[in-house]
Amino acid sequence: MSPLSTVRPRRLPPSPPGRGPSRRSLFLGAAGLLPLAAAGCGSPETISSDPSELVMWFWDRSASPALLEQAGSGIPGTDMHVRADVIGTNFDTKLRTSLAGRAYIPDITYINSNNALYFTNEDLFLDLGELGAESVKDDFYEWKWNLGITPTGRFRFFPLDIGPTGFFFRQDVFEEAGLPSTAEDVSAATTTWEDWIALGVELKGAADAFLVNDAQNVFEAVLNSSPERYFDADDTALYLEDGSAVREAWDVTVAAIEGGITARIPRDRSTDQNAAWSSGRTAGNIGAAWWTQVLAESAPDTEGSWRIASQPVRAGNNGGSFAALPHTCKDPEAAMEFLMWINSPTNQARAYEDVQLFPSTPESFGDLRYSGSFFGDQDPLEFFSTAAETVPTSFISTWETLIGGSFTFELTNVETSGKDPDRAWEDALSQAERVLTKRGVEA
Amino acid sequence: MTAPSAVLEEHRPLSPAAAPRDTRARRRRRRREALPLYLAISPFYVLFAIFGLFPILFSIVLSFTDWDGMGEVSFVGLAQYQFLVTDERFWNAVGNTFIIWFLSTVPMLFLAMVIAFLLHQNIRFTPFYRVAFFLPNVTSMVAMAIVFGSVFSDTFGLVNSALTALGLDAVPWLSSPWGIKITIAAMVIWRFTGYNAIIYLAGLQSIPTDLYDAARVDGASLLQVFFRITIPLMRPIILFTVITSTIGGLSLFTEPQVLLGNSGGAGEAGMTIVLYQYNQAFTQFDFGYGSAIAWALFLIAALFAIVNWRLVSGRGDGPARRVRARKEARR
Repeated sequence: MSPLSTVRPRRLPPSPPGRGPSRRSLFLGAAGLLPLAAAGCGSPETISSDPSELVMWFWDRSASPALLEQAGSGIPGTDMHVRADVIGTNFDTKLRTSLAGRAYIPDITYINSNNALYFTNEDLFLDLGELGAESVKDDFYEWKWNLGITPTGRFRFFPLDIGPTGFFFRQDVFEEAGLPSTAEDVSAATTTWEDWIALGVELKGAADAFLVNDAQNVFEAVLNSSPERYFDADDTALYLEDGSAVREAWDVTVAAIEGGITARIPRDRSTDQNAAWSSGRTAGNIGAAWWTQVLAESAPDTEGSWRIASQPVRAGNNGGSFAALPHTCKDPEAAMEFLMWINSPTNQARAYEDVQLFPSTPESFGDLRYSGSFFGDQDPLEFFSTAAETVPTSFISTWETLIGGSFTFELTNVETSGKDPDRAWEDALSQAERVLTKRGVEA
Repeated sequence: MTAPSAVLEEHRPLSPAAAPRDTRARRRRRRREALPLYLAISPFYVLFAIFGLFPILFSIVLSFTDWDGMGEVSFVGLAQYQFLVTDERFWNAVGNTFIIWFLSTVPMLFLAMVIAFLLHQNIRFTPFYRVAFFLPNVTSMVAMAIVFGSVFSDTFGLVNSALTALGLDAVPWLSSPWGIKITIAAMVIWRFTGYNAIIYLAGLQSIPTDLYDAARVDGASLLQVFFRITIPLMRPIILFTVITSTIGGLSLFTEPQVLLGNSGGAGEAGMTIVLYQYNQAFTQFDFGYGSAIAWALFLIAALFAIVNWRLVSGRGDGPARRVRARKEARR
């Protein structure tokens, strides 16, 4: 308030009657803002000043509200408690901002399936292996656990839920077309991608329906079920090698496009995609366990007509989140206790019942029962928990997020504007190389 | 108030010896008197400095670095700009932005002028129409995008249903390069035609009626009145709307983003400069490059500002005088 003391009210020009106070309060307010601005410097690293409170960032439906409430009054086995803050959109940007500014960093943070984006700055997160995470390792699907290990071999991202995949299809449409229509028959008829595409061609001929909405769906399904992806942990560009998994996924996708089994509706047009599924014009989709929920909400009228078959070759994984402890965490031991507690098989089963998070611990399925009838007499829980057993261990590189888009973009060009596939592949490679060189990655 | 006496004081001649000390004292006093006033206007400047000026300046710095938004900031010199110049995706975005700007601005301003001209006639319910035409401007963009997405949907859309009902071929509005651009342009037109019409209407109302009366006496038709009197006199206002539409067109972001997502649709046909900048900075976390794109856009916008400024200052209030001169000559 020091600026005000230099002002002697006597010397001010006389104010018109009745307006003095308002003017006075105006610069009182202005002066009040200055300390507020000054407070910006020297902010604390952690959010809560309460020494027994751990602040956790998550997004809606990524944790069971009931369990969070319980942790709010105390993490079992510790004298700390958790304050869970729902962070809305742009989660990654907000987390990065707090980490870059070294201010108001959460003690525990959830991170989506894009955890590989944080590998290059892995030192910002604690090594959970050093905090005793290994003691619960055997509870989890091995492939999911391994996705939390950074290229330097440190375990920094704790598994939350998973997204094992399967082939969703409209039983009624398949039946009408005279195709195999039970989950078992479709699974048996489509053990390879060639068979699957051939089935799609038959479906198109008999019912004028598409097997999936877009080419990207096929490409990602193939790649997500492959043990090899774009890079290995040493940054070797595997996708450049002959017969690489990326090239194989590309070839399968091009065959699907050429077979005319994709509806050519890119996923950013979700209104159209939903309309296609509701109307039966598109009679299938390769989706993860969480897609059961999405489908039931976006196409409620189709209840009872969907079934899930095994996807060709083997199941993949699509999505599923992680938790991490920023390096500023107030009490790493208690935070680790919390992560192990909220992700125990029992509590993951509870989270499934609350918010349909698909458990990453096989044991959780022992007590779980699916109650809906969206898939007729088929139990999606049983289907996906079996599928999760076959998901291969793979490595997702930081650089994948930079170049993966080039491949799906070019596939969309082939699909929607008839671009020559060979030309598209070359363009995808050169675009990928440009981006990698720019970001300082040798490929 | 003290203002008049202060002015008098200012002009009173001073003895040369007393001058320096006197001025200094007076300056100090005036500074002290001005302080509360500066304090009173400071909130805006303080907030602007923190949330406006600092980010702007920092983005200059960022454009010379490579930064992923949380790790080390490494200085890379002009590398981002070098990449930008040869980046096909960037130039595609520049091309898209200008095509969409042209596709939207020309029909929009023409429609707005026609609507304003009609509203200016003595028709009933003018206030109602004015509100009705302005309404799209304040409608939620997200809701609008959903409606447009459904209306222009390739397979299930209203437009294509209408086209096929008329025996025409369906148009892939949201998956072909031109379809996407036309749909985005249609969204812009729908949103801003009313806004520009209201501005034109205000302009029309400021044209003296005696000019119209004189034209009518001379036997001019409605079209002649429109093109010979209305348009020339509206020139400054038209230029104003062209400038505002250029600013809006160059920074086009919301329409393609909510309609097509962060990737700009099939073949990036709906990728605009700002959408590309957002995409690079906030989905690829390449803040250095995002900043470089922002400054490239600034240069393009500055170029346009100069062109506009030339247009405006070149022939300021000419038309009105020319019309008057022509009338006099005829007499």
